[in-house]
Amino acid sequence: MLLVPAVANPPFGAVAPTQTAVNEPAPEHPFEPVNVRLNSHEPRANIDPDRSKKWIRRVMPILLAHKLLFFSSIFAAVIALGSQVAIPRIMGAAIDHALTKKTVGLSVYVTAILIVGTTRAVLTFAYRQGMYRMAWEIETDLRSLMYRHMSKLSFDFYDRVQSGQLISRANSDIRSMQLFLSFAPFLSLSIISFFGALVYMLSIHVGLTFVAIATVPLVYWSGVKLRNLSFPVSWIVQSRMAEITTVVDENITGMRVVRSFAAEKSQIKVLAAAARKLRWATVLQNNARAKYGPFMENLPRLGLAAVLLYGGRLAIDGTVTIGQIVAFNAYVVMLQAPFRMLGFMLMLGQRAAASAERIYEVLDEVPTIAERLGAIDLISPRGAVTYSDVSFGYNSTDPASAILRHFSLHIEPGEFVAIVGRTGSGKSTIARLMPRFYDVNTGSISIDGHDVRQLTLPSLRAAVNVVLDEAFLFSATIHDNIAYGRPGANRSDVIAAATAAQAHDFVTDLPDGYDTIIGERGYTLSGGQRQRLAIARTLLINPAIVVFDDSTSAIDVTVEERIHEAITKLSANRTTIVIAHRLSTIAMARRVILLEDGRVAADGTHSELMESSSVYREILMASSAD
Amino acid sequence: MGMGGPPAGSPFSAPNGGSGLPFGGIPTEMQERVERLLAHEPHHEEPAVTFAAVDPDQRPFTLLNFLRPHKKPIAVALGLVVVETLASQAGPFLTQLGIDNGIRAKSLSTLWTVTLIYVGTVVLATIVGTVRLRFTGRFSEALMESLRIRVFSHLQRLSIDYFTEEKSGRILTRMTSDIEALNVLFQEGLLSLAVQGLSLLVVTVMLLRINVGLAFLVIGIILPTMLALTWWFRTASERGNAVVRDRIADVMADLSESLAGIRIVTAFNRRRHNIVNHQNVLGDYRAASLHVARIGAAYAPGAEFVGIIGQAVVLAVGGRMVIRGQLTLGQFTALVLYLGNFFAPIQQLVQLYTTYQQGQAAVAKLRDLLAISPSVPESPDAVELPPISGAITIDDVTFGYQPDRPVLHNLTLNIAPGEVVAFVGATGAGKSTIAKLVTRFYDVTSGSITVDGFDVRDVTFESLRRQLGVVPQEPFLFAGSIRDNLSFGRRNVSEADLNDAVDAVGLRDLVNRLPDGLDAPCHERGSSLSAGERQLLALARAFLSRPRVLILDEATSNLDLASESLIEKALDVVLAGRTAIVIAHRLATAMRADRIAVIDVGRLVELGTHTELVRLGGKYAAMYATYMQHTQLAPGINELSPQGQFEND
Repeated sequence: MLLVPAVANPPFGAVAPTQTAVNEPAPEHPFEPVNVRLNSHEPRANIDPDRSKKWIRRVMPILLAHKLLFFSSIFAAVIALGSQVAIPRIMGAAIDHALTKKTVGLSVYVTAILIVGTTRAVLTFAYRQGMYRMAWEIETDLRSLMYRHMSKLSFDFYDRVQSGQLISRANSDIRSMQLFLSFAPFLSLSIISFFGALVYMLSIHVGLTFVAIATVPLVYWSGVKLRNLSFPVSWIVQSRMAEITTVVDENITGMRVVRSFAAEKSQIKVLAAAARKLRWATVLQNNARAKYGPFMENLPRLGLAAVLLYGGRLAIDGTVTIGQIVAFNAYVVMLQAPFRMLGFMLMLGQRAAASAERIYEVLDEVPTIAERLGAIDLISPRGAVTYSDVSFGYNSTDPASAILRHFSLHIEPGEFVAIVGRTGSGKSTIARLMPRFYDVNTGSISIDGHDVRQLTLPSLRAAVNVVLDEAFLFSATIHDNIAYGRPGANRSDVIAAATAAQAHDFVTDLPDGYDTIIGERGYTLSGGQRQRLAIARTLLINPAIVVFDDSTSAIDVTVEERIHEAITKLSANRTTIVIAHRLSTIAMARRVILLEDGRVAADGTHSELMESSSVYREILMASSAD
Repeated sequence: MGMGGPPAGSPFSAPNGGSGLPFGGIPTEMQERVERLLAHEPHHEEPAVTFAAVDPDQRPFTLLNFLRPHKKPIAVALGLVVVETLASQAGPFLTQLGIDNGIRAKSLSTLWTVTLIYVGTVVLATIVGTVRLRFTGRFSEALMESLRIRVFSHLQRLSIDYFTEEKSGRILTRMTSDIEALNVLFQEGLLSLAVQGLSLLVVTVMLLRINVGLAFLVIGIILPTMLALTWWFRTASERGNAVVRDRIADVMADLSESLAGIRIVTAFNRRRHNIVNHQNVLGDYRAASLHVARIGAAYAPGAEFVGIIGQAVVLAVGGRMVIRGQLTLGQFTALVLYLGNFFAPIQQLVQLYTTYQQGQAAVAKLRDLLAISPSVPESPDAVELPPISGAITIDDVTFGYQPDRPVLHNLTLNIAPGEVVAFVGATGAGKSTIAKLVTRFYDVTSGSITVDGFDVRDVTFESLRRQLGVVPQEPFLFAGSIRDNLSFGRRNVSEADLNDAVDAVGLRDLVNRLPDGLDAPCHERGSSLSAGERQLLALARAFLSRPRVLILDEATSNLDLASESLIEKALDVVLAGRTAIVIAHRLATAMRADRIAVIDVGRLVELGTHTELVRLGGKYAAMYATYMQHTQLAPGINELSPQGQFEND
C-alpha cells in the first residue's frame, strides 16, 4: 500500500504520524493518530437505524448485546423473588405446625428460613449487580455512540446546533433512558413475587385474599397522582433555583455596578421576589408530598387491620390458621411495593421515550460531508489548488443567499497568495471549502488535479490546513496543543514548530514551559499568544497547503513578518494563502486576489491593485480604521 | 465563527435555550403540566425589604441561634411527630391483642374493637402525618426564604475587596448549595431524627415489654450488625460516589471540549484519536460506577439477611418459649412484626449522620460569611449628602490596596463643578484607583476626599453614589430587557426619560432595529449586543440617573475605533454641564478634557490643558508625539492598533 504522505521537504522529523502506545491495533489510516488504553469502553452495538420503530425497539440491539448478562440476571431474580414469597410461608407454617399443633420440630423451620434466606441474599446480590451493570453498560454504550457519531458530523450541523444542547442530551437524556431501562426490568420482575404471593393466598382463602389486596389499586392510584404532581413541581423548583442562582451570580459579577448605582436595596428586592417564587414552588412540592405521602404510607396498615378482622373471624371459625394470618400480614406489605413504584415507572417511561427521541435525533443526523466509496489517498501533495466555477451558500436550498457565485481561481504550488475583500465577500468560505469542511453546491475544487471529493478525508486534511480566526486551544499542556495533529511528536519537533511560529520565547518564559497547562483551569494566554500556538500546531503537521484565515489579527506586525519568513524558510514549496485585513500582512504576499460578490474582482500584485482597483483602495482604507 | 446562522425550522430549537447554568431547562414533555400548575400561582406581593448598613442580627450564626426565635413552631412540630409515631407503631401491639384476646379467646367483639382502634390509629397517623408535613414544610421554607434574603443582604453590605479576593463561584455556593444543605438538614434531617429516633425508642420499648430477655437477644444481634453494615455502606458508597463524580466530570469535560473544538478536531484528523480517548475516559467512568453498583447491590440483600437472621432467632428462641407457654402466640407475632419495624429507623439514622455533617459544614461556612464585616463601613453618624454642585477635592491622598504598598502618593487635586478632568498614564500608574476612591469603593489610607466639602466617609453610601454616575470598563449588563438595564437601580423611570437617554447616547438606531425595541432582552451578559452598543447602554444607564459627577473608568479602552467615535460623540452630550473624571487609556479621549492630569507611578506629575502640557514638553508631550506619529504614518492606510498608544501588546 502506498500510504506514506511524503512531503518534498519534511522539516519536523518523521512525517507519518508516529505512534507511542505499545500494544495498540494498527490504525486504519496513517493520517489519523490513535492511542488506545486497556480499559477503554468500545460500544458493543449500534441503535437500530430504522426510524419507524418505537424507541424501545431501536435500543434493543444494545440491550441484546449484553444478553448473557441480562438473562442470567433475570434467572437469578426469578429465584430470589420466589424465595421472598417462601419466607412468610415458612414462618406461617412454623406457627401452625410447630407452635400451635406442635406436630413438627421447630428446628426444621429455623433451618428452612436460614437456607432460603441465604439463597435469597446471594441471588439478590447477583441479580441486582447484574441489573446495575446492565444499566452502566447501556449508559456507556450510548455515550460512546453519541460521541462517535457527533465527531463524524459536519460543520453545518455545528453551525445550527448549540453545543450546550448536545451536552444536555448526552447528559440528562442518556441518564433518563438509562434510569428507565435499568429500572423497568426490576419492577416487572417484582410482579413475579406479586403473583407468587397471590397464588398462595388464593389457595388459602379467596375472600381473605381480596380483602388483603383491596388497598392495592388505591396505592397505585395515589402513586400515580403523586408523581403526576411532584414531577412537574420539581421542575418548577429547579427552574426557580436557577433563577436565584442567576440573580446572585449577576450581583457578584456586577457588584461594582450595583454599588455605583446604590442599587443594593433594589437588588435585594429582586432576590426577595425570586426567593418568594421559589418558596411558593417548594411549598407546593411539599404539600404534594404531604397530600399523598402519609396516605400511601398508611394504606397497607388499613389492609393489615382488615386482614386481622376478617382473618380473625375466619380463624375463630377454624377456616384459616393464625400462621396463615401472619403470612398474609407479610404479603400485604410485600404486595404494595410494586404498585407504589408502578406510577413512578410510567413517568420514567414517558421521560425516557422523550429523551430517546432527542438522542436518536442526533444519532440519525447524517453527516453531510462523507468520504466516497473508492476514495483515494492524496499522496505527496504538491499544493496546486484549482477552483472551477464554484458556487456555494451555507443554505444550499436558497440560491439567492449564495456566497460564492461561479468562482474560479488557480493557485500554483508554492505560491503565497493574499485574499482580500469586504466582510461577507466570501473570503473565509473559500478557505473552508478546500479541506471539505463544506461541499460546493456546483462546480469543483481540485488539489493537484484531484477533485477533493474523490480523496479520503484524512489524507485531504493532512494536505490542507486552515489556521482558523479563533485560536481554539484545548485544556492540555502547550506541548499537547501544538502536537494536536501529531500526538506522537517529540519535544524537538514541537520546539521547531513553536520557534517558527515565534512562540518558543514566550513559552519558555512560562513557569512550566511546554508543560504549562492552558485553558479554563490553567494558564491564561493573550490573544496573540494563542494565535501563535495555533500556527505552531498547523506547522507541526506540515501540510502542503496552509491557509491563514485572519489568524494573525492579534499578533504584532513585526512578529507576523518573522513568522512568514520562518515558514518560507522551512518549506519553499508550501502553498500559503492568507486572508487578512492588515496591509502589512497583505503586502507580504506576491499575489493578491480581490474578492467582490463571491467572484474574483482583481488579481495581481499589491501595487498593481493599488493602481488599478478603486475598490481595493477603499477596502484597505476602511480596514485600517477597523 | 459566525458563518450562516441556523436555518429556519432547525430540529434543535428547544425552549429555554442554554443559560450557561447547569439547569438545562424544563423538558418539553413536562412543559404542559408545568404550565397547568403555574396557572394557579397567585400574584406574589412585592416583598418589603429593609437594608441596614449593619446586620441587625449580630449573634454568631449557629443552628441553635438560627432556630431559637422559633421555639413555638418547633414544639408544635415535635408534638405532631410524637402523635404520628405512636399511632403508626400501634399496629403490631394491636395485632397481638387481636390474636390473644380476640382469635384465641374466640371473642368476635374484642376482635371488632381492636380492629376499629387499629383503623382509628391508621386514620390518625395519616391525618397527623399530612398536617405535620404541611406545617413543617411551610415553616422551614419561610425560614429558608428569610435566610436567603439575609445572606444576600450581607453580600450587598460587604465591600468591593471581598468580591475581588473571593472566587465568585465560592460566594455563589454560599447562596445555593450551602443554604440547600441547611434546608435538607432541616426538613429531612432534624424531623427525621425525631421521627426515626422516636420510632426506634417505641419499638425497643414494645420489644422489651413483650419479653426482656428475648428483646435483648434480638436487639443485641441486629443493632450492631445493622449499624456496622449501614455504616460500611454509607462510607464506601460515599467514597465511591466521589470517584464517580470526578469521572463523570472528566467525561463531560472531554465531551464539551471536543464539541467546542470540533472544527479543530476535524481539521487535524483527530477523530479516531479522540474517540479512543473518550472511550478511555468512559471506561474509567464505567469502572468507578460499577464499583459503586457492587456496594449498592450488596447492601440491600445484606440488610435483609440480617432481618432473616433476626427472624430465625425469634423463631428458634421465641418459638421455644411459646411451646413452653412462656410467651403467647400474639406476643410472638407482635415480636416478629416489631422486628420488621426495627430496620428502617436504623438505616435512616445512619443516613442522617451524613446529612447532619453536611448541614453543619454549611452552617459553619455561612457563619464565617455572615461574620465578615465590610472593610469600608458606613459611618454610624453618616449624614445624607445634600444635592451637590460637583466640586471634588482630593487632598494629600495616599492609598494602597495593601497598606504597606501604596499605589497613590500624596495626591492633591481640586476639580471645579462642571469641569472635565482626564487622568492619563501607563497601565498600573494608579488612574483607576482614583475613581474607586471617589466612589468610596475603598477608603484612603491618609488624606481625604471631599465632595462639595463633605468628606466621602461622613455621608451615606446611597446619597453619595446616587449623585455619582460610573461607566466601567466592562459594561456589565443584567439579564432582562434593555429597559430594565437602563432603569437599573431606579424606580419609576418615565418613558420620556428613557427615550431622552437613548437619544442622548445615540442608541436610537439600535432600539429601532430591534423588533422588541426597548423591551428586547440583553442575552447572557449582553452578548447579543456589540461591545460598543453595550458600552453605550452603560453610558445611557449612567446618564439616566442624572448624576452631578460622571466617572468614566477606561470606558472606551475595549472598543474598536468606529465604536469609540460613537462613544466620543455621546460623551459630548452626556458630559455637558457635569463634573467628570475621565480615566483615559487613549489620548483621543483625554484631549477633549478641560484639564489633563498625568499620573506616573502613583504621583501627579503634570496637570494642565492639552495645549499647556504639550508646550511643557514633559511626559504628556512625549505621549502625544508617539500618538501623532502613529496616526500620521501612512495616512489612510496606517497600522493604528486598537490597543492605542500607551502599550504595545
